[in-house]
Amino acid sequence: MFKLPRKTLINIVLVSCAVFLISHSLSCFKNSTHKIFKPQLSFISLLKHELEGIIFYHRNMIKAEELGVQIEILRSKLFDLREIYQENSRLKNLLGFKQKSTLRFIPARVIGRSMDSWSSNVIIDKGKSSGIKSGMVVMNYRGLIGRITESTDSVSKILLINDPSQGISSIVQRSRQEGLISGTLGVNLIMRYLPFDAQITVGDIIVTSELSRLFPKGLLIGRVINVESEFSGLNRYAIVRPAVDLANIEEVLVIIP
Amino acid sequence: MKKCLLFLAVIISVIFQLAWPDFLIFFNCKPDLLLVFTVSLVFYSDFKTALIFGILAGLAKDVFLPSFFAINTISFSLWSYLIYRLSSQISTENNYVRLFIVLVTVFLNNIISGLVILNSGSIIPVGIFLRNLIIPPVYATALSPLVFKIIKKITV
Repeated sequence: MFKLPRKTLINIVLVSCAVFLISHSLSCFKNSTHKIFKPQLSFISLLKHELEGIIFYHRNMIKAEELGVQIEILRSKLFDLREIYQENSRLKNLLGFKQKSTLRFIPARVIGRSMDSWSSNVIIDKGKSSGIKSGMVVMNYRGLIGRITESTDSVSKILLINDPSQGISSIVQRSRQEGLISGTLGVNLIMRYLPFDAQITVGDIIVTSELSRLFPKGLLIGRVINVESEFSGLNRYAIVRPAVDLANIEEVLVIIP
Repeated sequence: MKKCLLFLAVIISVIFQLAWPDFLIFFNCKPDLLLVFTVSLVFYSDFKTALIFGILAGLAKDVFLPSFFAINTISFSLWSYLIYRLSSQISTENNYVRLFIVLVTVFLNNIISGLVILNSGSIIPVGIFLRNLIIPPVYATALSPLVFKIIKKITV
């Protein structure tokens, strides 16, 4: 079916060489391409945000009313927690614990999302010029979002926690049971390597462990929604619903180490 | 002029794919506009143009993906070549044949992307793997008549 003449064969070899050369020097293109696309992406994301606000006006109005009620409930809870916090700091001082330094953040706005369905990443409008470096951890006020994997002068790329290549050492807040959180490309995460007698139940809160070198200790990841046995029957795994709605992130906070 | 318009079409496709509206995302999947663009170029322009813009579209996609190897640059150029060879063997004048070619190409490209991820050691649940394999090709095929029309207007 495919009988190739000599000239075509030479052309194919030449094109293949060119394609391989381009593919190996991919990083050279990234910085300039990101710089070119940044203004357009910022404008489109702003336009999209405004359009969605107009289209979903009624839904947003109902949501705002619901959130108003929730704010009142949380305000009263916050008052109680403030009391506990003050008591905790007094006790810590008494015990002579070193006061944990507060985290410093760089706020950024999401301007782009994954190109395909096989990876879960977002692009933010801040880069090296704003002090963002590869490896920095990203969160928002709800919990952990991911990690910076690439940073150019103007934009950075965040690998979200639901990407399958992401592995986060984590613990169950209640029982201190350790496990490894990894992404599934779906809405939920999987906590693996749990022994059969692991103390984990539905509703448990999962936070980052101090064993993780990439993520600071104690960042909220999510809540357990199901615990099941692995096919081998030796281990169990837990399905974790992330604290952050990863499909609808608009603003993020990059933690400065 | 045509080349400039095609270049502009690549840029617009990249922006659309990066900032695809949330309410048009079905089952967490969006269509691969750049691949549909590459395939349509083989149908409506000469092979050289299709190959060059196929490489450009693949490169544009790879730049915004987390991988460090430009797999799409290679696969997009390969699809351009294979579809060109196929169109010399069978007639691709019928719109249904073109839609079927888009469906198969996006599906095969998805298999390659999925296998590359699995080969890197990542574990993906079977349901999500199948979802990512099936829904984007159908979505891309559903949108391809629109892309065909645009490419036809630019190239004619």
